[in-house]
Amino acid sequence: MITYVRKPIPDIGIDESAKRLTPEKIEKTINAVLKGTGARLKAYLETCVHCGLCSEACHYYLSHDKDPSYSPVAKVKMTLWEMVEKKGKVSADFIRQCSRIAYTECNRCRRCSLYCPHGIDIWYLMALVRRICLLLKVVPQYEMDTNYSHAATLNMMWLKQDDWIDTVQWQEEEVRMEYPTARIPFDKEGAEIMYTPIAPEPKFKPQLLAATAKIFHAAGVDWTMPSSDGWDNSDISMHVADFETMARVERKHFEAAVRLKVKRIVMCE
Amino acid sequence: MYDFIKDPSLYNFVRGPLAWIAFFMFIGGSIYKIRELILLAKKEKTVIPFLDLKFSLRSILHWVVPFGSVNWRKRWVMTTMTFLFHICLVFTPIFLLSHNVLWHESWGITWWTLSEGLADIMTIIVIITCMFFFLRRILAPEVRFVTFTSDYLILAIAFVPFLTGFLAYHQLLLPYKIMVILHMISGAAMLIAIPFTRLGHMFYFFFTRAYLGSETGFRRGTDW
Repeated sequence: MITYVRKPIPDIGIDESAKRLTPEKIEKTINAVLKGTGARLKAYLETCVHCGLCSEACHYYLSHDKDPSYSPVAKVKMTLWEMVEKKGKVSADFIRQCSRIAYTECNRCRRCSLYCPHGIDIWYLMALVRRICLLLKVVPQYEMDTNYSHAATLNMMWLKQDDWIDTVQWQEEEVRMEYPTARIPFDKEGAEIMYTPIAPEPKFKPQLLAATAKIFHAAGVDWTMPSSDGWDNSDISMHVADFETMARVERKHFEAAVRLKVKRIVMCE
Repeated sequence: MYDFIKDPSLYNFVRGPLAWIAFFMFIGGSIYKIRELILLAKKEKTVIPFLDLKFSLRSILHWVVPFGSVNWRKRWVMTTMTFLFHICLVFTPIFLLSHNVLWHESWGITWWTLSEGLADIMTIIVIITCMFFFLRRILAPEVRFVTFTSDYLILAIAFVPFLTGFLAYHQLLLPYKIMVILHMISGAAMLIAIPFTRLGHMFYFFFTRAYLGSETGFRRGTDW
């Protein structure tokens, strides 16, 4: 018989927070999330014929020598199906396992949905599991930290506004060593495009900003970047299913574009 | 026991009220389930606004064509078996000569019928493909891992009417009368089970495909 066997990996975010869970809290949270779902969950639960055709879509499955416990449907079976069947009466250990599966054994690439003959959105089902784990605060520490960064600073790297401005101006100087007329224009109202990087660029690889500036300079693009919040296009809150923070981050991003009256947003990556 | 079977009242019950109940449950249940799903979808913010007729039909067509999608082409044995199974499962009972005779006796309606030889082959195909699915459930690790008792049950629900039908037609194993009664009971069980079990993918297939197809289309992608 195949079972779910994994080498234990300690993670404060998962292990320590799971210790604080009570059966009542787990049950209440799961049922609250499930109650908020509708036609999609119902159709997906009642349509899946457990055929396993989604397996070969998953790179986790393929890179673990086709271990069946990594197949997309198996991940749903070990998490959501069990929650639904037991009506939320599951243990804290089970939630720990769900968190590990949903956050570290599925990166929500959605290939499996394109392999499913029924078009079941397995990504959506894993998102529900992540949502439950998030509300129970059983999330890998690094991801939760990034989420808190979004909540506090609206970018994913705990960058403050002066860090951001300083880094960009430093890179502008670097570019101008090569192209004396090149600029990285902040807050230029009415520009053609607003360019937004992801926060690891100013944090770890600021030369990428200089490279972008060179490209825009050579192409003669009329561009700008916001100097205040909304300059980061990433949204890890979406990935950890903290939809409240996700919405704040997205709103700020679009509001920056509206404030600068640009025609379009161009994002890195 | 044999007297009980010989007594025409059992046959009359199966042929009359049970058939009515089965058809009523099948049609009524299906309408109820589809209506329930649509009402639920209306409450969800992200479903109806995404739906797009063109993308939905494109997605459904892409997957009902054999070997149309990437995954169908990757698994050619499974694809062949699936398509043979579903085509024979749906069309054999509808166009079977003896079923048409029953409809003619009851309501005076008939339509095209399959030749008896072809219908026999199609029934054998259903029986063989069912066995294939059963073996696949046991032998393929990724399928076995997600297999529940209910999976064997719904396979059996689809399998038994065809097996008993085949045995009754060839008058094998049990006396014809017993076999045909078993055939009718299992057929009724299948009709009743469709809306209320995962056999409901018969209808839900179109809805789940339509939604994913619309979403891929909305993002200017195509189905694989």
